[in-house]
Amino acid sequence: MYAPVAATSRARSSESLFRRNLRLFARSKLSLGSAAVVFLFILMAVAAPLFAPHDPNEADLFLRLQPPAWMKGGDWSYPLGCDALGRDLLSRIIYGARVSIFIGASVILVATTMGTLAGLAAGYLRGWVDVFISRIVDILLGFPYLIFAIALIAMTGPGLQNIIFALAYKEWVIPCRVVRGETLAAREFEYVESARAMGAGRGYIMLREILPNILSPVVVVSTVRMAHVIILEASLSFLGLGVQPPTASWGSMVADGRSFMLEAWWVSTFPGVAILLLVLGINVASQGVRDAFDPQFHD
Amino acid sequence: MKKKWMAWGVAAAVALPTLAGAAELRVGFTMDALTLDPANHRKRETETIIRNMYDGILTRDSAMRVVPELAAGWSQIDPVTYEFKLRSGVTFHDGTPFTAEDVKFTYERLTREGAMDGQTSPRQSLVGDLKEVVAVDPLTVRFVLNAPAPIFPAMQPFQEMVSKSFVEKIGPGGLANQVNGTGPFKLVEWRKGDSVIMERFEGYYGGAADIPPTRQACVDRVIFKIIPENASRVAALLAGDVHIINDLPAHAIRQVENNPDTRVMAVNGTRSSYIALNNQKAPFDDVRVRRAVAHALDRQLIVDKILNGNASLIDGILSPDAFGKNTNLPAYAYDVSKAKALLAEAGYAGGLDVTLDVDGANKEIAEAIGAVLGKAGIRVKVVVGEGSQLVKRYRTKGAPIDGQMWLTSWGNGSLDPVGIFVPTHRTADRGNSSGYSNPKVDQLLDAAGAELDRTKRASLYAQAEALVNQDLPFVYLWVAQDLYGVSNRVTGWQPSADSRINLHDACLK
Amino acid sequence: MKLGKLIARLAQLVPVLFGVSIIVFFMMTLTPGDPVQIMLGDQHVTEAQERALRHDMGLDLPPAERFVKFLGNAVTGNFGLSYYHRQPVMDVIASRLPATIELSLFALLLALVTAIPLGVLAAVKKNTIFDRLATVGSLFGVSLPGFWFGILLLMLFAVHLHLLPVAGRAGYSSEVPPITYLLLVDTILHGRFDAFADALSHILLPAITLGLPMASILMRVTRASMLDVLKQDYITFAEAKGLNRSKVLAKHALKNALIPTVTVAAIETGALLGGNMVVETVFGWPGLGRLVVESIFVRNYPLIQAAVLIYAVTYVLLNFIADLLYTLLNPRVRL
Repeated sequence: MYAPVAATSRARSSESLFRRNLRLFARSKLSLGSAAVVFLFILMAVAAPLFAPHDPNEADLFLRLQPPAWMKGGDWSYPLGCDALGRDLLSRIIYGARVSIFIGASVILVATTMGTLAGLAAGYLRGWVDVFISRIVDILLGFPYLIFAIALIAMTGPGLQNIIFALAYKEWVIPCRVVRGETLAAREFEYVESARAMGAGRGYIMLREILPNILSPVVVVSTVRMAHVIILEASLSFLGLGVQPPTASWGSMVADGRSFMLEAWWVSTFPGVAILLLVLGINVASQGVRDAFDPQFHD
Repeated sequence: MKKKWMAWGVAAAVALPTLAGAAELRVGFTMDALTLDPANHRKRETETIIRNMYDGILTRDSAMRVVPELAAGWSQIDPVTYEFKLRSGVTFHDGTPFTAEDVKFTYERLTREGAMDGQTSPRQSLVGDLKEVVAVDPLTVRFVLNAPAPIFPAMQPFQEMVSKSFVEKIGPGGLANQVNGTGPFKLVEWRKGDSVIMERFEGYYGGAADIPPTRQACVDRVIFKIIPENASRVAALLAGDVHIINDLPAHAIRQVENNPDTRVMAVNGTRSSYIALNNQKAPFDDVRVRRAVAHALDRQLIVDKILNGNASLIDGILSPDAFGKNTNLPAYAYDVSKAKALLAEAGYAGGLDVTLDVDGANKEIAEAIGAVLGKAGIRVKVVVGEGSQLVKRYRTKGAPIDGQMWLTSWGNGSLDPVGIFVPTHRTADRGNSSGYSNPKVDQLLDAAGAELDRTKRASLYAQAEALVNQDLPFVYLWVAQDLYGVSNRVTGWQPSADSRINLHDACLK
Repeated sequence: MKLGKLIARLAQLVPVLFGVSIIVFFMMTLTPGDPVQIMLGDQHVTEAQERALRHDMGLDLPPAERFVKFLGNAVTGNFGLSYYHRQPVMDVIASRLPATIELSLFALLLALVTAIPLGVLAAVKKNTIFDRLATVGSLFGVSLPGFWFGILLLMLFAVHLHLLPVAGRAGYSSEVPPITYLLLVDTILHGRFDAFADALSHILLPAITLGLPMASILMRVTRASMLDVLKQDYITFAEAKGLNRSKVLAKHALKNALIPTVTVAAIETGALLGGNMVVETVFGWPGLGRLVVESIFVRNYPLIQAAVLIYAVTYVLLNFIADLLYTLLNPRVRL
């Protein structure tokens, strides 16, 4: 999924590594453009009530599958047309951004926090902690992702929290592996040794010394995975385990609309395009982040 | 492993030299057969596939009347004894004659505990409470029941006759993958998960005498092609890859009709849709609230908009085609002010907040119901759950139900009230998802179950339905039509109300 | 590689399989839903029938006892009977596994043949417009929900253009006696090129849908590792010696750059095997993924347990193969 990032010759420079990387990132127009797209989507999500022309959940069966405004039978008060229950597609896409981004962000937040802590512990403490965590990681990785999520949702029932839980439950394994590898390398570095020599506690070393220096690969991996989580949520919706109605996530809109693909293509195509734009934006931006943050590519 | 190998080899050797340009009818079908053994499953889709290779002693005609198929006729000797005369000259696919011994063997396999390689047939309770089967002579067979069961003939079209000598030859589990029936098609190959391939059985006796045409099948070959995804199945029909698809979504009707090469065929279904209301707890322990929901629900609007008009409304559990249907049930007409008045009377003048559970497949209808009920002050929160979980929560056999409203349905291929009215409405029965209990209804249902006089039996069910209509433990919605997309190349085929796809009469232009 | 290491690697299977077994068993036990009621469906049913079925399924035993029994049988490769097929679980799985393997391998192949050349070119032409296009294009591949893309492909190529079939694995006359159980291979081995073409036309759309995200990932890995290799001393040295650039690329750089690609490909194939139920559903592909998802919904415990164990074994083995390839291609690394 990601090339292993070697923790070579990484030392603390006078200028914060993070800030220098940010500067590098900003130099790439493509990355900046994508970041702008992502930012716009986030803005749209946050300020959804300002943008949405209608109540996203107001159904009117007489407007069922109304085509977009520019097509025959369309109406500019419903610019992108209506879904199967006669709800305004544009408004639902705008509000759906909230749900999709919320799911993506919370899964990654939970997973990254868990994974980072576990990875730090495994990589720094070694011994039985490492064995224990590594075994759990092996077991979870050996369990097919979607099957795991489906089984978990079958067990707990669909719903926003359960979807986040089902996706995060395994997602943490990925940052955990990355952080463990980086920590293993970092613990041999001078700055860690000197901190140890000065009598710093284990917690202090892990969180204050090592963590800031291995943050870059974690950021890269997290952004890529966030894009992936948004797609995975769509897959869960496809299998009938998406968010609860009347709330719409983009994934559930594409999934519900797919059966109308022949007679009302707009119902699933517009949210599909929204997913594409957001995820592509995140991916391109994160590629930029990687190019900037990964020391291997520094010229 | 080696055996399988050889089976493949034989299948291919048989298949390869067949005529190019043979008439090959392909059916885009939702679900693969679970097994090819007619006695070892409880799945309608599996039966639909198998029924093209196996015949029963009885079958149903297009009006859903029970008529003889492998039987020449039948009579009831006393309340617990039925005698069937079998047709002569019928052979299995391997050429051996079909006799009363095969019928006896088939039914014993279905009903005897542990008869299927140590397991009990899951179809046991579909047969009836059988005491014994007697082969009187090679063409006469007698069924003796433990108790009178008027439904007995209606359940026999579901049972397919297997060959005794064949099963003894291939072993008890062999029928799972091999077929030797008396039906119009022989098995060529079962590509699991992909398709079931059959070819015409030249020695076919012609099928039920009452259902013309009686002759061999029209097409050379039939393929049930498994395409579970709705959009893909419709696409396969429009692209001409398949000639018949089942389970056509109502919203795709226009597409199929607009396509010059395809058409839509509809037939009354047998599945009653309804909303189960939890009668055990407030607010639905109050009949006024239940009636308010019924009045607040514009069922016709939902049928017109979501189901494209392809459903008939019902005011009791039974389908309009079912035996014993009470045709004089009062309807709870759409009337918002009446609904509001009933709610106010019950103490919910400010409206009502309720949760409607539904499985993923029926989400759209549940949301539409929610939107319509909202106009009468019944604020519905639709919660999508997983089907198997909802069954567990609502069909509690009398134990407390965990939930308020559940949009669900119950299928009734036999069109007899025993298969639907009893399990859903009798106190603590397995399909009773509203916690409904009315001793009078129980009495009527029990009496009807043992009543052999058809008129009396029908009137008992009608009385029960009238009582239930007043109690309204469920909000009865509709019986939707089964929709099929059919290529214009197909002639002679009619969809059947019991969801079977009998391809015996189908031809391909 | 030393034999000891090999055994140690394979021994890792044991805790993984045991852990996976425990998780899947208790997950299923804790999930509400009764296979007996699900199987009996909508009919009038007698108590005796329910009891008999519950006994047949072994569900009349307490969960702890069922687990012990399951473990004991699983060790001998016996996973019991599938509740609904009423046949040994391993037979049911064996009938669906080849289709899944074939689809995954073919998707992998498609991904490799597009990703490697594009990745190499993108690296060699770093920061040109080609590089940008290839990078953004590759990101496109991981930015689409698979089922949606699949349906779009299907509408275009099957319904509108009538070029490819909508669903299934092969037409009626394209079946050949199995040798490898992979239809594409078997048809060639039998010299049935018409059947091969037919099988190819069936597998193309699902394989593209499945392979696209993988191709994206592999392309990026190839590009990154190629860039890495190009900076190494020996390449610079070779070029300084005046050797032809394309020869240097082909002979030295590519071989080393491919190590991470191959490793990632092996690991991703595991994900592919476990993640293709969506594609299998859209294209009516008769594979295992679809079967497992259906089995979860109807609580077919024995089948789910066996399938998940098979996935876990495959995953561990693929990782093992990845390590092995890593060692073979890069002799400096010793396991």
